[in-house]
Amino acid sequence: MSATPTGIGRRWLQWLALALSLTGCAQFVPQTIALRGDWPSGVPRAIELRDVPFFPQTAYQCGPAALATTMNAAGAQVLPDDLVAQVYLPARQGSLQLEMLAAPRRHGLVSWQIPPDYSSLLSELAAGHPVLVLQDLGIGPLRQWHYAVVVGFDYAAGDVVLRSGENQRQVMPFTVFELTWRRSDYWAMVVTPPGVIPANATQASYLPALLAFDRNATPQAARTAWQAFLSRWPGHALASLALGNRLYGERNLTGAESVLRAGIQTHPASTEMLNNLAQVLAEQGRNDEALGVIERAAAQPGSFAAEVATTRAGILQRMAR
Amino acid sequence: MKSVTMKMLCRFLIPAMLTLSLQTASAGIIATDQAAAVANAQPDRTLVLAALERNDIRDQLQAQGVDPADARARVAAMSDLEVRTLAGTIGTAPVGADATFLALVAAGVLVWYVFYRK
Repeated sequence: MSATPTGIGRRWLQWLALALSLTGCAQFVPQTIALRGDWPSGVPRAIELRDVPFFPQTAYQCGPAALATTMNAAGAQVLPDDLVAQVYLPARQGSLQLEMLAAPRRHGLVSWQIPPDYSSLLSELAAGHPVLVLQDLGIGPLRQWHYAVVVGFDYAAGDVVLRSGENQRQVMPFTVFELTWRRSDYWAMVVTPPGVIPANATQASYLPALLAFDRNATPQAARTAWQAFLSRWPGHALASLALGNRLYGERNLTGAESVLRAGIQTHPASTEMLNNLAQVLAEQGRNDEALGVIERAAAQPGSFAAEVATTRAGILQRMAR
Repeated sequence: MKSVTMKMLCRFLIPAMLTLSLQTASAGIIATDQAAAVANAQPDRTLVLAALERNDIRDQLQAQGVDPADARARVAAMSDLEVRTLAGTIGTAPVGADATFLALVAAGVLVWYVFYRK
């Protein structure tokens, strides 16, 4: 971008937009067209997240720069240079989408790929989350993948506002942006601190993001994330198990007990929750209760017969002492 | 021949043991990963496979010029599903990069704009 004066770049984009709107080809920008009749509810017509910081990219490193932009907006203090060793592939001179999703977890942040549409992008911005997108800036059959961060839009003016490359405030028409974004199948992600759930998250789509986050998170960060998930979707089986395990890991046995009990109330046949509850009770010295719970687990047909048998044997051993 | 077999065996056994030791870190408790794998209809055996896939991705990252210690940490930050998705596509998946090519295109557009537009 450095060789291109901004004014000229903008002018040709406007030209392209004009050409498109004249031909009126809905198949080129289906989502921009769809917005005309179906604006996402609760989203204002113009937003700009002015406080989102800017890190100009150095050679080939739009990935680390865009990632640093979103991560700092989510509260981490990290520079693009720190992220190079975490997402950059020297041989390919770029960064993979999956690694862009993985890296924020190493800094205590939750990353999530949002649904591939304008309406999700706009509502994430309305919720205050800048959106990291993958664009293809190439022409014709040539591909030129590029990461940038959408920080705002003005629908009346028809503009999308980005932090991109060396450009702190790049303004692009909705149509042109869609053309560049569409070739990545509308790939976009948000980064949030644990406890903040993205605007478009659903139980099923957000769960894998938290499971991935849980793998490397500190006990406290994981606990915060699962607590938020459970207050949004109470009684969820795997989330209850995960939070129970984190509390157990912190030796908060009564906390783990109450979370597991709440989960079991919704899912009475969950072998894994019954098993873990039995263990938690046994470690509090409540062996009789524990035995009752593990018997319930043993009565369930499930994948954890071996684990349940081990837990049961352990409880009986405690009782024999 | 014998060393090749041994190497294969070790490649299989070491991650298997690592995985199993992780999974049984606290006796009596079913780990979140374990439950998630079952929820995704993947039998326990795939945990071993997942460990092998992780090693594979790590090697591929190194082949792309990533420092060995960095490669290990990068793979550790991925979920099993992500590792599986990435397997075999590292060399071909889109990589967001610089806009040097774009500068050339922009120069072309500039020429067109100045000389041919009228």
